[in-house]
Amino acid sequence: MPFEAMSAAADEDLLADYAAGDASAARVLTQRLAPRVFSHAMRMLGGDRAEAEDVAQEALLRLWRAAPGWRRGEAKVSTWLYRVTANLCIDRIRRRRGGTDLESVPEPVDEAPSAAEGLQQRARAEALQGALDTLPERQRQAVILRHIEGLPNPEIAEIMDIGPRAVESLVARGKRALEAALIGRRAELGYEDDD
Amino acid sequence: MTERKDNRDDSFLPLDGQDDDALGLFFAAARAEPPQPGGDFLARIEAQALAEQPRSSAPKPVLPSRRPGRLAQLREALGGWVGVTGLATACAAGVLIGISSPDSLSVFWGGDAAGLGTLGVDPLSGFDLALMEG
Repeated sequence: MPFEAMSAAADEDLLADYAAGDASAARVLTQRLAPRVFSHAMRMLGGDRAEAEDVAQEALLRLWRAAPGWRRGEAKVSTWLYRVTANLCIDRIRRRRGGTDLESVPEPVDEAPSAAEGLQQRARAEALQGALDTLPERQRQAVILRHIEGLPNPEIAEIMDIGPRAVESLVARGKRALEAALIGRRAELGYEDDD
Repeated sequence: MTERKDNRDDSFLPLDGQDDDALGLFFAAARAEPPQPGGDFLARIEAQALAEQPRSSAPKPVLPSRRPGRLAQLREALGGWVGVTGLATACAAGVLIGISSPDSLSVFWGGDAAGLGTLGVDPLSGFDLALMEG
């Protein structure tokens, strides 16, 4: 997509300027990248703000240090950051669980307050996050990248270091699990489906 | 399934219909409500970026009181261009004296002959010793 291509080139240009000592590039890169890194970490970590800030700071620190040796055209800055951020998040998730790599047993989704008209969207977003938290990390990552970050499969494959078919499989399994977790809450959350 | 209008940002989402399923509204809500970082967090990130930033490699502007280079500093220590010229002349003269036969310099010596005369070979001269060898 033209927008994405322009954005990717702008990130690389800014990173080169940053590496050359341009202080304004440091500020612009922070504004461009930090919110996305933070929100991705928040989604991966189930809304733990303190941990998400820690992860985001660490991911960006690695980018600042990688900047002088950055090879233009090899990987997009955003791709690299998504990968580093998710890996840091997955490390923390596994440490929380005691280091196991097994599919987690789904936990009951927290009951959201009943959705008033103006809060429906927020309630849906929170319900989805609660359901995402029950997914195994790689399914969670794949679904977030595909359906929330809106990335195409080839890019997700690069971020996750797997093939496109594996991405499709993870996304499909993740969505089935989300549907199962959310299906009973559609009426409460104002979701009307006519199937 | 009916297609639903939602407030997703189409500038970065794929244009296929992959979101018009049971979860579509939930994903749309998640996209519309991204977690926002706090101002203090962004300030910390910016401070860290500046702290980690390499020093500027851009060409520096020429300032009036620029520090002279090493050659210029050496030149000044030797008395400027006049001193350096004199030093160069002295060096050249030294070389000339060194490579000339002592007897030929007697004209300039102004006293006893510069050469060793009947004393023969200067025992410290390796050149002379080499000449004497068979």
